[in-house]
Amino acid sequence: MTVMRDTVVKSLAKINVQGDENGLIPEYDVLVNLLPVALLNTFTERIMAAAPAEKKKMVEDGLVRAAYECGYHTGCGIITSDIFNDVVLPMVTEGEKDILRGAYAAFTAWGWAKSGIVQLKEGEKMVIRANDYYESDCGGGGLRAYMFRGLCQAFFDLTYADPYPHGMDTFICHQTKGIEVGDSHGEFVVTKK
Amino acid sequence: MSLNVDFHLDNETYRNYLNGHPVVMHSHHYLALITKLVEDLGDIGGQNILMDVVEESMRAIFDDYIQKNGLTSPFQKCNVGREYYSVFGLGKMIVTGNENGGEVRLVRSHIDEGWVSKWGSHNKPINYFTCGYIAAVFGAAFGKPLKSYTVTETASMAGGETEGKFIVKLS
Repeated sequence: MTVMRDTVVKSLAKINVQGDENGLIPEYDVLVNLLPVALLNTFTERIMAAAPAEKKKMVEDGLVRAAYECGYHTGCGIITSDIFNDVVLPMVTEGEKDILRGAYAAFTAWGWAKSGIVQLKEGEKMVIRANDYYESDCGGGGLRAYMFRGLCQAFFDLTYADPYPHGMDTFICHQTKGIEVGDSHGEFVVTKK
Repeated sequence: MSLNVDFHLDNETYRNYLNGHPVVMHSHHYLALITKLVEDLGDIGGQNILMDVVEESMRAIFDDYIQKNGLTSPFQKCNVGREYYSVFGLGKMIVTGNENGGEVRLVRSHIDEGWVSKWGSHNKPINYFTCGYIAAVFGAAFGKPLKSYTVTETASMAGGETEGKFIVKLS
């Protein structure tokens, strides 16, 4: 049996996130937050619009980096969590490839993006398709899925680079299509840096 | 907690909703790096951009909740923002004051504690996000337009103090 994506998504989507008595959400070895999509998208657009031409790359890189480090550390917490062990690991028969499939099902279940792997060359390249992701709501011009790029890069590093926490910055993700620019879906390509 | 919380995942889009508003989960790494990014962009007003966006976005959520639940008193309205802060996983705040301003104590803080966990203490306050958030709390409580309140962080957990403190003044 390989990872059954829909089963994983349905199982993991039942998780409810609640702040504890201190108003904090300690899960997956990080502090989790729950923020309005409108806030994150508006921030992206305002900070990009305010940046002069020579600083736009720095802003883009900063937004990707925030998601990348979040995804790398949180992703490790997710794929080593009890719920991941209970739901995903019993289906794993193809090693790292299945772990990555399970991770993308979790990715979908936790509301980051409705997405999946469409092409995988193990340890070298991955193509992801996203049919819905919150950054596609951004009103600005151009490809805007900085969060998604950072997370894709993080998940591939976790799967195929040196073991956590030594595998950072091994791979890079580029966005090649975007709903926000009129394409039917978002497409993301991860390759070696 | 008196806040009614409806959190669910849409089965079609797989987006999360909190009281009808789309939300997404991230970690302290994300907000620590966004905070660092706006500091690095201080020359273009990065901190103010973050504060303004937080105030506008949160205010829309508070006003929506207040309207749908028929809340009328400033105390009830203020509690909406205070309790949402904990629902968002941002920590725990104690709010005092009136229409002219007040003081907010931050006894737990996702942003400050996340910053310290990632990089250690900082030499100045960093919680721009919560400055904007508190401006929205007071604006919603007293029915004032956006940017009616100036919020200044005078004590910082990221700066090594045991609690954060924010002074709120009607502009």
